[in-house]
Amino acid sequence: MLKFNNVTKRFPDGTEAIRNISLQVPRGQFCVVLGPSGAGKSTLLRMLNGLSSPTEGEVMLDDEQITGKSVSRLRRKVATVHQQFNLTPRMSVALNVLSGALPQVSHWRAGIGLFPAALREKACRLLDEVGLTPEHLPRRVSELSGGQQQRVGIARAFMMDPAVLLADEPVASLDPRISRGILQLLHRQSRNHGTTVLCSLHQPELAREFGDRIVAVSQGRLVFDGTPAQLTDSVCEDLYHGTLNRHHEEPKAAVPVSVPSLEMAIA
Amino acid sequence: MSNLSVNQAANWHLPQPYNTRHVLFALIALLILAVSGVRMEVPRMVHDTVQGVGYAVGLADESPVATGVKRIAESIWPLRISEETEISRIENFDRENLPWLSRVEVIETKMQRMNTDTLRLEETIESKEVLIKPLGYLSHVLLKMLETLEMALWGTLLSVLLSIPLAYFAAANYAPNRFAYNLSRSTISLFRAIPELVSALFLVLAFGFGPIAGFLALGIHGAGFLGKFYAEDIENADRGPQEALQSIGAGKVKTLWYGVLPQVMPQYIAYTLYIFDRNVRMATVIGIVGAGGIGLELKGRFDMFNFDHVGTILVIIFLTVFLLDQFSARLRSRIL
Repeated sequence: MLKFNNVTKRFPDGTEAIRNISLQVPRGQFCVVLGPSGAGKSTLLRMLNGLSSPTEGEVMLDDEQITGKSVSRLRRKVATVHQQFNLTPRMSVALNVLSGALPQVSHWRAGIGLFPAALREKACRLLDEVGLTPEHLPRRVSELSGGQQQRVGIARAFMMDPAVLLADEPVASLDPRISRGILQLLHRQSRNHGTTVLCSLHQPELAREFGDRIVAVSQGRLVFDGTPAQLTDSVCEDLYHGTLNRHHEEPKAAVPVSVPSLEMAIA
Repeated sequence: MSNLSVNQAANWHLPQPYNTRHVLFALIALLILAVSGVRMEVPRMVHDTVQGVGYAVGLADESPVATGVKRIAESIWPLRISEETEISRIENFDRENLPWLSRVEVIETKMQRMNTDTLRLEETIESKEVLIKPLGYLSHVLLKMLETLEMALWGTLLSVLLSIPLAYFAAANYAPNRFAYNLSRSTISLFRAIPELVSALFLVLAFGFGPIAGFLALGIHGAGFLGKFYAEDIENADRGPQEALQSIGAGKVKTLWYGVLPQVMPQYIAYTLYIFDRNVRMATVIGIVGAGGIGLELKGRFDMFNFDHVGTILVIIFLTVFLLDQFSARLRSRIL
């Protein structure tokens, strides 16, 4: 069980990325967080793996609060699939997947690259599950296509048998044809492994197709919480239209990285 | 439409790239160069060089520079390849078993001797047997060069080993605290600030003549460079992979090992090759202060005015540096 209790996140420059959000996600649910770029989706997700901490309120994972002290222990239950894949370039597919289990490996084993047999078998099994072949093992990830890289990213995320999987715009840098395949894979993997998924997206049609539940964030506020059927076109229009207008009045987006992509979306 | 663009163009203003401030700065810089140039005797350098070139093409009657260069060139050539040893000075000389390629020759030398009875100079002919090794001196120099290369290799190894922990603590995003960061940064600066030649002077006092002082001096100086370069690469590496590993709780050292090192490896190898390249050149120089290798031989021969020997040494150094350059350029282009 994942819980956000009245969470607010304020950045040092005064921007409020998250404003008083409360949310509960039961175990095994595939929850899509919908919203335009800069709405606060990333910040919401980053509070679960300790890359960001709430200014007010509390974030709970299995009835334990995520704080500075507990974060290093709780992190092991949370895996992340990133928008830019965040794989180590120039390193092999095999080592990238194995690096997902680094917290379980002793320093000296990690130092000389000798991973235990059980982990190596697991890496192979996961790579098979995400649809890669044994020929991919020694290849550098930078040689793979974007879709294949995200598959490696998903395999890496499942190395630690996470209770929660955070997918931060997992398909934003992939073309639409490949996006569906990746989300299908993510959906299937989380179902098979019983993982709770919090997946941020900005395409409503993909959210409807894959989410068990959809929550929408706009300007740091939770503006919608319901089933895919409840997410009608008019709700989506309100969500996006409203935000685009606000963007013109208030050019500073909550997450700076998202500004160019939003501008591209307008163009 | 065109009217509109004309009106808008009037609002634009594109200034010249230079203004009076730039001109003033240029004048000040010129003034400083002029004052410094006089202190550095630049006019005399120009005068002597032009005179030397004029002498070479037959326009000037005399030139101290040209005469000096000519004298050195004449004494360097022909290069010393062989080695001659008087047989009377070799203990247990075995005439039946001569060393490989060597031969015995009788050399006659005319000597002017003062006859003590007549008090006149008399010419006598002295003959002595010498053992000639045709490639003797060349192989001696090559062995010294090998020693120099070994010094460079150990110096590089030492600097890599020293700089890895230094770089870890000197990278702002990995240093455990401000103190360790500052300590490591200042150690790196200190290492870089001491020239090899100076530290070798002191290390020779501590460890005695020989290669130990040499490669220690090279290693310390190299660690100053590599520590700085490595640390800056760690700081500038792509944060994405590091964030990914951090977010699952991999810990700093493992994150560095798996999230940063594979990214920066090509640059690391390039820097290390550069330091090795530099160490070979520096190793020849620091030999001069007694730190072993070919420099020691060079200094000895130079002090005895054996310029033909010096010539051989210089040619070997040049060839080695040239070949090393080719080798490292090839290696670098394969890695990057």
